[in-house]
Amino acid sequence: MQAGQRQGELPASPGCARRPHREILMTLSVRFTVSLLLSLFFLLFHCSAAGQDPKPKPENTISVHLGDPIPAQKFANPPKFWISDVIDRSGNPQPMLVLKERGGIFLDRQPTVIVREALEESLRAANLLATDANSADLALKIYLFQFGLAQGSQLDLFGKVEFTVTVKNPKSGESLEVKAAGTSIAKTAMMKKNIQKNVQDDVEESLRDAVRNFVRGQQLKDAVGALRKNTDAAPAPAPNP
Amino acid sequence: MRIGIHTLMVVLLLACSSAAAKEKDETPQFKTAEAKHFTQAEGVELSPAFGDYFYAELREEMKKAKLASEVIGEGETVDDADAPQSIVITGTFTEYKKGSVVKSALIGFGAGMRSLKMDADVLRRSDNQRLGGVHLQVKVDPSWNDKTMAKFAARQMAKDMKGALKAQAK
Repeated sequence: MQAGQRQGELPASPGCARRPHREILMTLSVRFTVSLLLSLFFLLFHCSAAGQDPKPKPENTISVHLGDPIPAQKFANPPKFWISDVIDRSGNPQPMLVLKERGGIFLDRQPTVIVREALEESLRAANLLATDANSADLALKIYLFQFGLAQGSQLDLFGKVEFTVTVKNPKSGESLEVKAAGTSIAKTAMMKKNIQKNVQDDVEESLRDAVRNFVRGQQLKDAVGALRKNTDAAPAPAPNP
Repeated sequence: MRIGIHTLMVVLLLACSSAAAKEKDETPQFKTAEAKHFTQAEGVELSPAFGDYFYAELREEMKKAKLASEVIGEGETVDDADAPQSIVITGTFTEYKKGSVVKSALIGFGAGMRSLKMDADVLRRSDNQRLGGVHLQVKVDPSWNDKTMAKFAARQMAKDMKGALKAQAK
């Protein structure tokens, strides 16, 4: 032991002055490693979440119904309609998926089935639905372009149902197009359960709006008037010899 | 002194609540109101999706503002008896500026804001008589998307429209 050096103290080494610098370096490297690991973890989590397509389960499936039938407009000479076909023209590969985020929200039936059911209910309630295709005065062919949520602002949910109906007179073979659209705005929510409820309400409201737009629309009134007028005016087809 | 302040506060609160109640109990002026999709003036570049969204928001705001007993969809029929008590709202987007985030951040004071100008007319359904008009300009932050702007524009439009119709009625 050197003279003047206290007992218990370590001898001063040449690297002793560098120790704080080394500690800083070590702390920085630990921080860097932790940050890197966290980033990797989040990246992997995000990638795995993005890669997984939501699957329909009972807890994320909603059942959309019209509720009360929509009162139809009054016709001078009420025709009988028959819905011959409902065709999906949305181009959506997953028509039953309403919302992809938060584990997904699915419809319990195909949109075409829901729209057909909604229109039939309203026409039946107004006594405008024929019992079969043969007894119908006018046949309706529905082309569904949109059903569900459309892109709106991030602050709310924008429900939209849009379809075009080809109204055809089977006797004369003439047809006319009638467009109908329904929209609805609903509040979004934080909790999954509330989001699901709001989405269901929003889609139901937009469906109601679209059906109402069709059964009470001026376009339908004009189409029915034109098609039936032509039939009344046209002579009966001569029987083939 | 304290009693006086308390009394004044209670009186003010009562006055506010009665005013609010009056506002809530207000019966709509019209039976039906139909909003049509707004058209775009030449040079205005807005997507059809924007028009759809604005139309939906405007209908929703009209319901909230109790502009009419029933807000009907575009092209729906109305009973002949209700036609004089029904209105149709038509409008045009006259100007749209996308704004600039850089200008807004560097200059501020309203520079670089996203802006939308529109004109709307309220017509009586039975005879197409003009009952009122609204000229509106909405400015929002350029970092917000155009749908958010549509939301604010629709809210402001419904409010101004109600004001214009009230002024016309007086």
